[in-house]
Amino acid sequence: MSSTTPILRAEALSKTYRMGRVSVPVLREASIAVERGEWVAVVGLSGSGKSTLLHLLGGLDRPDRVDRTTRPDGTQPGRIFFESTEVSRLNAAGLNRYRARSVGFVFQFYHLLPELTVLENAMLPAMTGRSPFAWLAAGEIRSRAKSLLERFGLGHRLTHRPNELSGGERQRTAIARALVNGPKVLLADEPTGNLDAKTGGGILDVIRELHDEGLTILMVTHDSSIASMADRTVRIHDGRIVGDEPVATDSAAASA
Amino acid sequence: MYQALLVLRFLTTRIMPIIAVLAVALCVTLVIVVVSVMTGFLEMLRDSGKRLVGDVIIHVPTVGMPYYRDLIADIEQLPEAEAASPLIETLGLIKMPYGPQGKGSIEGVQVWAVEPESLSRVLDFQKLLYWRAPSTEEAERMAADDPRRDPAYDYQAEAMAMSRSNSPLPGAILGIEISPFNHRQRDGSYRTHSHFAGQQDRAHWMPQYEVSLTLVPVTETGSLDAQRHAQLAIVNEFQTGVFQIDSQRVMLPLEYAQSLLGLNETKRISETIFDANGKPKVLGVAPARVTTILIKAKKGVTPDALLVAVKEVYKRFSQLKAEDPEATLMPAGVEILTWEQRMRDLIGPVEKERGLMQVLFSLVYIVCAGLVLAIFWSIVHEKTRDIGVLRSVGASRTGILTIFLAYGLAIGVVGSSVGLGLAWLVINRINEIHSIMGEPAPLWLWVTVFALAGCAVIGAVISTLRDSALFTLLWIVGAVLLTGTGVLLMNHHGFLIWDPSVYYFSRIPNHLDLTNALMTMGFAIVFSVIGAAVPAARAADTDPVRSLRYE
Repeated sequence: MSSTTPILRAEALSKTYRMGRVSVPVLREASIAVERGEWVAVVGLSGSGKSTLLHLLGGLDRPDRVDRTTRPDGTQPGRIFFESTEVSRLNAAGLNRYRARSVGFVFQFYHLLPELTVLENAMLPAMTGRSPFAWLAAGEIRSRAKSLLERFGLGHRLTHRPNELSGGERQRTAIARALVNGPKVLLADEPTGNLDAKTGGGILDVIRELHDEGLTILMVTHDSSIASMADRTVRIHDGRIVGDEPVATDSAAASA
Repeated sequence: MYQALLVLRFLTTRIMPIIAVLAVALCVTLVIVVVSVMTGFLEMLRDSGKRLVGDVIIHVPTVGMPYYRDLIADIEQLPEAEAASPLIETLGLIKMPYGPQGKGSIEGVQVWAVEPESLSRVLDFQKLLYWRAPSTEEAERMAADDPRRDPAYDYQAEAMAMSRSNSPLPGAILGIEISPFNHRQRDGSYRTHSHFAGQQDRAHWMPQYEVSLTLVPVTETGSLDAQRHAQLAIVNEFQTGVFQIDSQRVMLPLEYAQSLLGLNETKRISETIFDANGKPKVLGVAPARVTTILIKAKKGVTPDALLVAVKEVYKRFSQLKAEDPEATLMPAGVEILTWEQRMRDLIGPVEKERGLMQVLFSLVYIVCAGLVLAIFWSIVHEKTRDIGVLRSVGASRTGILTIFLAYGLAIGVVGSSVGLGLAWLVINRINEIHSIMGEPAPLWLWVTVFALAGCAVIGAVISTLRDSALFTLLWIVGAVLLTGTGVLLMNHHGFLIWDPSVYYFSRIPNHLDLTNALMTMGFAIVFSVIGAAVPAARAADTDPVRSLRYE
């Protein structure tokens, strides 16, 4: 684990939300490192801070400003690294680029834009951050999005609106959207949380397939049976990392 | 580029933007229609103003100017001038041929002593004359005792000659509104009738009567001379379309008025030197005078250019007369004005009114911006989660801001274009719309509306039975609105906003003022973007994590 540089690394992240007059600490010095090509499941009860950890790693939010004194082990609290880039030091434009290119998000409630077709939703990340004159590249983006959707069995749904799709189809569209820019890490927040077991199983099959192709996956779930499909499980409780163990190979094989 | 796609989709898949577009469209239509009608009204007024006094006026009040024939000849030599006509403007009192209890009523009038032959070269004199010989069919439709029945009667020739064939008296042409028995109809024509208490309703057609006119000459020193009376035969009536003129002006022949007012050519006699026969010695001739000369410009010559030329001619002419020891001096207190300067008191107030209207209706833009703001606020609220999604896939704050600003721009452009179209439709048919409003509502219309209201009541009952609160409410609202409309229509006996008997133009101006329309559109677009800007900035500031949690 420590022999190579992790693709994603966070050092003692803290995050406090203000609810009116009270400060609610959601994350307390949580550290995590994800190796290239690894599938890590973050497990915890709801409200344990697992989604917040994912948002911080994905650059959707920034960790608390804390004392950045270097610790004896060489880490600095509040730092996030993607490969050799320090995400926590990126400016707004850099963060936008990071969200668009380096990571891909999948959410529990799919979060597709209802006005756009399946194809347009999948093309969306590739269109952001480009100048309005880059529409010449639209053909290339379109074919990329189209081949991803076809791969996920949505070839016949390209011109449909999200409200015309089943839950599984929506989530597969969301995965295609997350992958359209060819990110190195997929960040999935309870991707099967809103689906029945059978449909959820289909989504997990897709994720496993992507993992087998070498994509790094960081998945948040509260379901330990789903977590058992990953290479490694990180347990989080009350904002602290309380456990980090590799999943027994036989359990992964058993659930397959 | 995703911004363009999203704006397009937001516009076409939601009800809110349609409401916003409609709001902008209605505001734009309202402003364009109001300002176009006001501008048209002003144009009509200016146009009639110009038609009434030519392009340039030389005016010497009261004392008048001598040698006007020579001056006119000089002016007509100008390459800028088409024609000129002399006239005398003064005030008088007119005694109408009839009135309550058979006594003539007395009106103060503005007198124009004219020379029809030269005047018709400066103004459309003949077009102003109201009465024309009826066609044979029209004559047949008239009542047997209608004095206008004779198609052979030549109204135009009599007016040009300023005398009536059946009367030795000098002729007079009255403004159509002077007689209280000329009643203006909705179609702009006049009906001549009267009913006095205890008398039968009968036609009172003016050109069969005589009027008496009292003039008070004013001497060169400004004192009043003895009043003069004249009995005149009415030869015709005229209509300029401007109420102030039609209700006050009387025309009579120039030469007759000159002799009445002592402005004709007279021998200047000595009070102390007498000739062999004991008669006062004739010292010379005091030339005839007029107070005003109206000048028409040649085609393509502006009134201002003509004004400069006329001023020059007058100056030279005065110098020439000053050098001649025999001649009378030209008066110094002369006003040489363009028609626009002369008609200032008529046009000025309407110009001010239009300005006021523009300012008042500009408030509509603020309403428009407010509506767009409110609608956008709710659109942004509704889109909070989608904004978070866009941010999570890499959209920048500027990108989000652009979406909503472009959205506002699109609503402004589409709304104001629709508004322009609507305004064009309304203005083109404004007279038809107006005349429909002026008619009582037809029976079938309000009966149908009541029938529809009945259907709405049935709909409400059915919805209640089906336990649908929304539809019950909608049906009830429909029923109430329809009943209200029905009651209004039933009691509607027609109302005219642009009553021709008040505005003196028989048609509402129906010309779309394009410059103004484009300006209105521009303002609507700017205010739509301003209205969208605040919610757009709020959208851009939305924290992506919070908006994703927003369910």
